[in-house]
Amino acid sequence: MIPHLTKGAIAALITLAVGVICLVLQPAVPWIAKWPAAWVLPATDWVGAGLTWLLEGVKPVARAFSAMMYYPMLWANIALTSTPWPLVIGAVAALGWILGGLSMAALGFLGLSFVLASGYWVESMNTLALVAVSVPLALLLGGAIGVLANEHPRIKSGVQAVLDVMQTVPTFAYLTPLLLLFGFGPVVGLIASAIYAAPPMARNVLLGLERVEPEIKEAAVMSGGTRFQQLFQVEIPSASTQIMVGVNQCLMAALSMVIIAAVIGGFDDIGWEVLLTMRKAQFGQALLAGLVVVVFAVVIDRMSATLAQDRRVTYDRRVAWGVLAVGFLVSVLFWSSLPDPAGFETLQPLADGVDRGLTQFTTANGEWLASMKNGFLFYVLLPLRIGLAQAVLPFTWGFAWTGQMSLVLFSASAVLGVIVALRGNVTLGALLGIAAIVLVTGIANLPWLFVLVGTAALGWVSGGRRLAILSVVLLSTILLSGLWERALLSLYLSGAAVFACAVLGGTIGLLSAISPLVWRVVQPICDMLQTIPLFVFLIPVLMVFQIGEFSAFLAIIAYAIVPMIRYTRHGLTETPAEMLEAATASGATEWQILRDVRAPYAAPTILLGLNQTILYAFAMLVIAALIGTTGLGQSIYLALGQADVGLGISAGAAMAILALIADRMVQGFAEERRRALGL
Amino acid sequence: MSDTKTPAITCRNVWQVFGPGAETALTDALARSGDDADVAAQELREQGLIPAVQDANFDVQEGELFVIMGLSGSGKSTLIRCISHLLHATGGEIRIDGENIVEASKARLIELRRKKLGMVFQHFGLFPHMTVLDNVAYPLRVQGTKKSDRHAKAREVIELVGLKGREHHYPRELSGGQRQRVGIARSLVADCSVWFLDEPFSALDPLIRRQLQDEFLQIQEKLKTTIVFITHDINEALKLADRIAIMRDGKIVQIGTPAEIVLHPVDDYVREFSKDVAKGQHAHVASVMNTGEAMVYGADDPGLRKDMTLDAALARCMDLYEPVPVHDDSGKVVGVVNPADLAAALQVETP
Ligand SMILES: Nc1ncnc2c1ncn2[C@@H]1O[C@H](COP(=O)(O)OP(=O)(O)OP(=O)(O)O)[C@@H](O)[C@H]1O
Ligand SMILES: [Mg+2]
Repeated sequence: MIPHLTKGAIAALITLAVGVICLVLQPAVPWIAKWPAAWVLPATDWVGAGLTWLLEGVKPVARAFSAMMYYPMLWANIALTSTPWPLVIGAVAALGWILGGLSMAALGFLGLSFVLASGYWVESMNTLALVAVSVPLALLLGGAIGVLANEHPRIKSGVQAVLDVMQTVPTFAYLTPLLLLFGFGPVVGLIASAIYAAPPMARNVLLGLERVEPEIKEAAVMSGGTRFQQLFQVEIPSASTQIMVGVNQCLMAALSMVIIAAVIGGFDDIGWEVLLTMRKAQFGQALLAGLVVVVFAVVIDRMSATLAQDRRVTYDRRVAWGVLAVGFLVSVLFWSSLPDPAGFETLQPLADGVDRGLTQFTTANGEWLASMKNGFLFYVLLPLRIGLAQAVLPFTWGFAWTGQMSLVLFSASAVLGVIVALRGNVTLGALLGIAAIVLVTGIANLPWLFVLVGTAALGWVSGGRRLAILSVVLLSTILLSGLWERALLSLYLSGAAVFACAVLGGTIGLLSAISPLVWRVVQPICDMLQTIPLFVFLIPVLMVFQIGEFSAFLAIIAYAIVPMIRYTRHGLTETPAEMLEAATASGATEWQILRDVRAPYAAPTILLGLNQTILYAFAMLVIAALIGTTGLGQSIYLALGQADVGLGISAGAAMAILALIADRMVQGFAEERRRALGL
Repeated sequence: MSDTKTPAITCRNVWQVFGPGAETALTDALARSGDDADVAAQELREQGLIPAVQDANFDVQEGELFVIMGLSGSGKSTLIRCISHLLHATGGEIRIDGENIVEASKARLIELRRKKLGMVFQHFGLFPHMTVLDNVAYPLRVQGTKKSDRHAKAREVIELVGLKGREHHYPRELSGGQRQRVGIARSLVADCSVWFLDEPFSALDPLIRRQLQDEFLQIQEKLKTTIVFITHDINEALKLADRIAIMRDGKIVQIGTPAEIVLHPVDDYVREFSKDVAKGQHAHVASVMNTGEAMVYGADDPGLRKDMTLDAALARCMDLYEPVPVHDDSGKVVGVVNPADLAAALQVETP
């Protein structure tokens, strides 16, 4: 009996066949597995030379711009640092009142009081000054791009593609060329954050303008407005809610990037403080500084989010003036006796306490923590990375892996695979074989031919021939540029993290969908995790597990799990009521409804969540290079340290390529599911 | 009609084709088919294009209330958007007061919209961020009218549509009927002479709809503007129209007065529309009377007038068998009608 082969089955069988061929021929023809060094083109050098030449050309302009930006930055800085702190706190609280009444005013007041008490006032104001200058730039830039793309339908798809790519280019990769252009100094952080924060604004402006009801646009036309009047008097105000979502995202992105840009140093801001204390292993202090960053993020996020609310309440302005006046009065009355904001040490005992507690904790629990970490490393991560054949050693596993064991594993999977295939599921059978190959060789050692064919097969199944070709071409550039091994290392770590996120996040999302109680607990945690700038995730994992791959793995999961949870829950709960009623009326149990109605309907949404999770994992992977990962992230980080544009951009591009391919494939699957559901 | 005045609106061979390369495809298709619209439309469809309006030809006289009717998707909105130039017609000629607007410049179009054209939308198209007053005053604002002047004018129109006291509400705070009143007020504020309404009452429930129709007729009575009105409701069409154009799949299949549409439908599609209509209430004696040659009538004169509905006329000559005279407003005899013809006109036709 030969079952009819689906597209997926054919793809899996081809991949399996290539894998087997590679394994068999490997001893005789080593180049089939390992891309020979002689075939590598010095592409990174070329990129470096080309870019350096280009950047040198632009440099005068950049330096002029940099000089120009120096003043606004200086002013913002002076304004924020030399304004007496009671007035700053009063102003933020007053702003909070205008935006969201008592709750926002309280948030602003408490948040800034915390910053004051932490003793990081000056550093925080430096950071805030950077954000205050970069955000208007980003808003202008993003807004202009969004409006232009909306005005010229021809460039729209091009702009959207560029925005897509920009979203996948890792944050650090922006920094190296900017460093070359602008020289060391805060202006790099400023420009980087403006560039990084502009795309979300552009996206939302474009989306908002597109979504304005056609009749509203037509009404503006028929009223006799010029295009300019239509745009600025009708379309942009009508799209304001969506645009405010863009402003919120823009603010958060700018803050995040300003913090990240601290790695290049040269500016006494709060991100630098986090980094410094982390490097000195002063974790209590690092946590305190990290909390200041979180407080900033929360205050900025929640306050700006009120702008995007559909129906805004207006609060009595007089209260805001009152609050401001109080801040002013306090400043004036206690002018000479106002304590130095940098001198506050109220929270110092807390930091010390954390340090002491941490030492106690690690001495008390160090053993089992270490064994857990090592266990995971030796029995899960390492085999995944270099394969059972190399990871199974007498030292860790108690025995050495032999060729026979591989043979046994291969035959077992072959038998099982054939049985499964004969029962009708050819795809699964072939996948079993592929899994055995990956398990024995390890992701980092996979034959390049096998990876290329596998990617092409996946691309073909998810997005057709075009995606297959695109993926292969893009991957080949990585292969040729000599970044292949590092790319596989990145793939391995992010793959492992994404898998863990999918399982864990999927489960949590499922539980949240079933039980509102669980969601009530999970939701604020998700909100929080999504507000925290990337950087801060490193502190707690570092505190407990020190530098290493395991810490990086945990940090990636903590950051990337959120979309998986959210989308899973959202997908499972958004099933149309009639469908549920129809199922109930047919006599289905809760569980059957979940399996037969909710889950299939949610599949496209969950896949989109997975897609987000993948992108998040890649973003975090680069940041995690700070605490010791190998792979592309490390290269980007190293390149930054050495101002090596070629390596930085090439590695960044390789990372973006991986993210892009993953993105397109998952989108392809989601699209296919959606079409199958007729959505 | 022997009117020598320029019609307010003239449409000649107007086409609107959707899809890539529509313009050349249309020219080619017309050339190949020797200007046969049906053949050309069929050919365009086969190429995957959508001929949403095909070869529309009609005139609308000044002050006339012209209704376009048809099923959903028949191209009504597309046609009215061509005339108001929200869409650039793929082919043909559209004249407003004799001026070809298909070829008008951008600046001229803005000028026209400010001075001459007004439009009301099915889903109101109100600006969500403006109050009622600002919404209504907007067409004046784009012209640069001073704030106090435009607000004064806007208040006038708001009062005309019966929304006095709601000036400072936002659209979301109004009911559907009130929102459409705002839409109507906004389209009137700049004193338009040609008024487009695209299913203005379709989104409203029947009671409100009837009320707004009556008010609309009163406004029209006052302003005497030229109106192009779209609806898919035959009763609404018959109630409002001077003349009705019926569209099907992009084609205008019949143009006529309400009585002509009801009494002499050209095909089953049109007949289907008027099937359930009480014809006696919409057709007038004038449409069945004989005029000209020999005006022979019997001794009885039940006092029929030419603008009486058939129902009313029939009620007066229930027991008469001979032809009776029909008078005009001044009492002069202008025609003759046979009571049997009155009854026959009301028969539901069975094809
Ligand atoms: N921008 C467009 N692109 C492609 N096809 C369009 C476009 N606008 C309208 N159409 C098509 O043209 C045809 C006529 O549409 P139109 O909106 O004019 O119908 P309508 O008579 O106003 O219907 P309704 O009563 O539902 O408003 C439809 O088949 C529609 O799908
Ligand atoms: Mg319509």
